[in-house]
Formats: sequence, structure tokens, C-alpha cells
Amino acid sequence: MSFDAASAIHSAGPDPSSAHVSLSCLDFLLIELVPMAQRLAEELAKREEEWMRGTSGVTAGSESKRRSGDTMVSTGMRTPRDSGSTAAAGGSSSGAAATAGSGTVGGAVSGTGIAADDDEVREAVFYRLEMLGYRVGLGIAERFSRDKPRFTDTLDVIKFLCKDLWSIVFRKQIDNLKTNHRGIFVLTDNNFKPLGRISVEKHHHGVLQESQPFLFFPTGIIRGCLAAMGIEASVQGETPGLPSASFQIRTAGAKP
Amino acid sequence: MSSRSPAIACIGIIGKHNNPLHTSLFPPPPARDPLDFSFLLSSSLDVFDARAPLKTADQDFGLLTAVDDRLAMYGWLTNTGVKFVVVVDMEGRPAGIASSGIGGSAAVGLRDADLKPVFRALQTAYIGLLRNPFYEPDDHSPVSANVVGRVGSTQITSKKFIAEVKRIGESWAPGVTNL
Repeated sequence: MSFDAASAIHSAGPDPSSAHVSLSCLDFLLIELVPMAQRLAEELAKREEEWMRGTSGVTAGSESKRRSGDTMVSTGMRTPRDSGSTAAAGGSSSGAAATAGSGTVGGAVSGTGIAADDDEVREAVFYRLEMLGYRVGLGIAERFSRDKPRFTDTLDVIKFLCKDLWSIVFRKQIDNLKTNHRGIFVLTDNNFKPLGRISVEKHHHGVLQESQPFLFFPTGIIRGCLAAMGIEASVQGETPGLPSASFQIRTAGAKP
Repeated sequence: MSSRSPAIACIGIIGKHNNPLHTSLFPPPPARDPLDFSFLLSSSLDVFDARAPLKTADQDFGLLTAVDDRLAMYGWLTNTGVKFVVVVDMEGRPAGIASSGIGGSAAVGLRDADLKPVFRALQTAYIGLLRNPFYEPDDHSPVSANVVGRVGSTQITSKKFIAEVKRIGESWAPGVTNL
């Protein structure tokens, strides 16, 4: 991971697993990770939607086949459905033909699907980045806690997180740590490096919302590091204003 | 009898939830009974639990228990809860084969410091394992693996790691400081 000069000299001792990474590379990686996850999630969502449309066309077709024997169904209802069934029977499961066949029902689904999709994609991005961060956190904790004295309570672990882990990954210590002494910790970093490169147009709204995904990976790291030390916690990151960030750590069994 | 020197009989790596992650026997079965050593490793867990609240500074637990005249167990607990247990056989190998120059020191007995290089090397190997992106620590923990419904062993399968543990176990002898 990244070091500033002082800690690099400090840690470049006899440790054989010490490897160094260019600071800019780490910055780029942390930045590029987010669009990558977004692209992946969007592509997967699109593919899934196509697949769902294909199957919904087929089910609509088979449904209309069953209904074609039913005398109660009016012909006005049946004709568009029947065209759908022929399209499906013709072996075409492409999205366009299927939606044309399933008519209003399919239209309604995809109409609401866009809003739900955004949430789903966002969820998928969060999950992917958070799990990546979690895995990285597990490894980092194992690697960098080896020469530390034993952590006896949660606060020790949080201190390790604020001082050591933060300076290893984000090149500075946490600026502020608050706790209610009942299992909730709030870490504030006034100059959070992964957010430091974000430039903002004036009067552009929704920046805080858009920069939120850049905190997913760091929250994962925090959660992974805590998990490695045996603390189950949920971590929430938000930015009150660039480039600062705050992380709320809620350990399992915490009281508000 | 006195012409034999200590050697490692068994290395056990035990996870955070007291789940066995890996066990190596030296020499490999059938020369040593896996079940015997499985029992020994299990019994060592109590010692860890009993001593953990008192040991606040160091990861080295030193001598856990002397099992009998020949076997003795040494332990190490990392900050992340992973336990390394080394069972030393005081008459494990004929003197003078691996420990040239230190032969005949068997009677002196072992100091805790003698095992430190072993634990350090094991920890380095374990960290190396965690740096492998294809190793998922949670797949090897009974807590999360059971939730996902995975069946089967949660043991470490990494060939590199197992080979490294084997190398450590075979190359150690009293007085070796660098593994």
C-alpha cells in the first residue's frame, strides 16, 4: 500500500511482505474503480432486462395460446397477444419483438423498470465495491496488525483504524473521532484523499449524491478491517461537503 | 536416546472461530496419527482461551503444555485471532542431520525464543496467503460458509501455502534463527 516517506522508512525493515505502490497509481485505482463498477452493473442490468423481456414475451405468448381456446376472451384483446405469440413461436426472443407482442403490460413494466433499475444498479455498484473493499480490509488488517500489541477492546481497534490503517491507505490520520461509548463511532476526515481530485462546477447540484459511490470502497475497507479484528459492524460513509468525508461505524449490538 | 534432537512434529493453523484451517504432520501419515494430533490441537485451544485475557502485549504464547516426555506444544495468537500451534518432538530426528554443529543439544531443552522464527515464518506465509486475491477468508470460516450453504471442508487448499508450511516444518531445528 501507499506510504509517505517517513512510514516507508519505518516499515521497510526486515518484513518480507512489504511491497510499495506508487501513490498516483493508488489514486487512479481508487478513482477508476467506481466507473468500472458502474459500467459492470449497468451492463449486467441491461443484459438481465433483455433476458427478462425475452422470457416475458414467451410467457405472454403461451398465456395467449391458453386463452385462445377460451371463449370468454374478446377478440379485441386477443389480436395483439396473438401476434406476440407468433413472434415468440417464430423463435424470435429479441426484446423489441417481445415487447411489441406483450403490449401494454410490457410497456408498464419497463416504464417503472427505469426508476427501479437505477436503484438496482446503484445497489449492485455498492455491493460490488463494498465487497472488494471488505476483502482488501481483511488482508490489510492481517498484514499490518502483525507487529502491533494486542487489541483488548473495540476502541483499540478503532484507534488502529484511525491512525495506522488510515495513514497506510489514505496517507493521513483521521481528523476527528467521536463515539457515544455505546458502540457507535463517527470518523471524520476533513481532507479525504479519494475525494480530493473531484472538481465541481459552480451551481451544480447533486454533487454530494454523485460523489457518494467513491465512498463505497473505503467503507468496505473499514468493515473488512473491523471484521478481521473480530468486530461485526455496519459502516456508512457520507460526505458533508467535498473533500471531507465522515464514516459512521455501528458495531453489532450498539445502542443509539 | 540422547543422540536424537528436537524437530517439529506438527504444525496446526486454527482460525478465528476455532476452526481448523490447516494441519501438517512431520513426517506425514502414517508415520504420525492425524487423529492424535487433532486431539492435541483441540486441547491447546483451552490454553489459548485461558491465557488470552492475561496476555495483553505479545502474540507469542510460548509453551502451552508439555504433553509427555517427548511432545510439547507451543502457540502463537495473531491480532486477528488466528492461532498457530507447533508441536515439537524432542526426539524427532537423529542428531547431526539437520542441526550440524548444534548436535547433542537435545538435553538442554528448548527456550520459547527458539520457536519464534517458526511462528514469524508461519505468519508471513499466512499473510502471503491473504494477499492472494483468489483466497476468500470467509469461505474458510464456519460461520459464513454455513450461511451460504457450502458443504465440505473449510481447510486451506492453497498449494503454495501448504508447501511453505511443509518447508518451515522440515527446516526448523533448535538454533535456527531465520526461516
